[in-house]
Amino acid sequence: MLKNLLEGKPLRHPIHPMLVHFPIGFLVVSFLLDLVSLGFPEVPNLVRCSFYAMLFGVVTALLAAVPGFVDYSDIRRDHAGKATATRHMTLNLMVVAIYGINLWLRSSALTDFKISLVPLLLSLIGIVLLSASGYLGGRLVYDEGIAVGRHKRKTPTPQDTLHLSTETAAKAGEAIFVSVPNAEHLRNGETLRVEIERQAMTIARIDNQLYGFQEFCTHRFGPLSEGSFHGFNVQCPWHNSCFDVRTGKVTNGPAKVDLKIFKIETRAGKVGVLLTKAHDQKT
Amino acid sequence: MRSLLDFLKGKWLGHPLHPILAHVPMAMWPGALIFDLLSQCQIGGNAMVRLSFYAIIFGLAAALVAAPTGLVDWSGIKKEKPAWKIGLYHMSLNLIVTLLFGVNLALRWQTFREASEVDRIPLLLSAVGTLILIISAYLGGRMVYEYGISVARMSKKKWRKLAAAGGANLPPE
Repeated sequence: MLKNLLEGKPLRHPIHPMLVHFPIGFLVVSFLLDLVSLGFPEVPNLVRCSFYAMLFGVVTALLAAVPGFVDYSDIRRDHAGKATATRHMTLNLMVVAIYGINLWLRSSALTDFKISLVPLLLSLIGIVLLSASGYLGGRLVYDEGIAVGRHKRKTPTPQDTLHLSTETAAKAGEAIFVSVPNAEHLRNGETLRVEIERQAMTIARIDNQLYGFQEFCTHRFGPLSEGSFHGFNVQCPWHNSCFDVRTGKVTNGPAKVDLKIFKIETRAGKVGVLLTKAHDQKT
Repeated sequence: MRSLLDFLKGKWLGHPLHPILAHVPMAMWPGALIFDLLSQCQIGGNAMVRLSFYAIIFGLAAALVAAPTGLVDWSGIKKEKPAWKIGLYHMSLNLIVTLLFGVNLALRWQTFREASEVDRIPLLLSAVGTLILIISAYLGGRMVYEYGISVARMSKKKWRKLAAAGGANLPPE
């Protein structure tokens, strides 16, 4: 519940990217005011203005950190963007530490007309790190699609990919049966992200039935294991393409190409995926 | 022309430009309101009045730079998509907010050097401007987080590779 709140689900918009405007804007402005104080030392109060802007920036940075941690912890462990997210977080922690020291150094010289060298340098370093970090944060959204469409999903998303092999699988003629033990425990609207021999798939339970389909949307390859379900349709979190999970057919664009689907069966009391030769080809 | 459009879309940076630049007005103008309120509570004196003034100026400068990048991003959305209309509202509200803070700045021009608190009318303009700005920014965020505008636009090749490696059906290139 608290997690949903901090992820901004009631607002249908993540909270962290809303709050980060403030530290980014104010820490940059604090630096600009420092520079103005060097150029125009006759203007009063610039050093004090810069201090207030920085204080405001640091307080809002600490506020933004809370939903940021929640967002971070909800990224799948083997997600392509997880390493970027770790770097983003590490840089932010460094930035807050640097500005904490910076504030402390400045607090005893608020009546100066010109900013002194050490706090100015700290601000410069802080701005460089903050810019790098902000850029990485943006890449997380615009390249990796983190938090995009997340509010549409009602159930938790997979925290890991389940890697299975066909080596121990039962061969049934042309088809190979690979048991997926975790699938039985799925509740309605929940998904698994499974990889079997270079086939990435989502296994979802809908209306008490299990369905298997390719993990990547056929539009811009968004993660369908993080999609939402509407009747028998899975909706891609990124651009809202819909597919019928029973047939793989596109039911709503922008996607134009159907999904590859996988048959889920129960054999000898075990639930699993039936892989056929056809799955190696593009359909 | 083409290269100018690509520049405004942020292709050279691998990141759309509009959401980067939008941080500045989005931080400065609500910030100005907070500083106005603090100065009304006799906190900070002239430093607070000046800080608010500088915040409005920095916000205006960045808003003017952010506008063309937003326009280019918006022009890439098909008219029949729901995001197109949201983009139109987002843009209209932003124009109103920018005008409000422009007037706001003009009203302060004569007094910010000496005053120890912000007058009523500029304070009111900051409050109204901030309210409209928050609505507008929310709409901008919805374009990204609900409709995926600019998402996977520049990373399409990378994701295609990952999808191909995962055995997925792919659209023609």
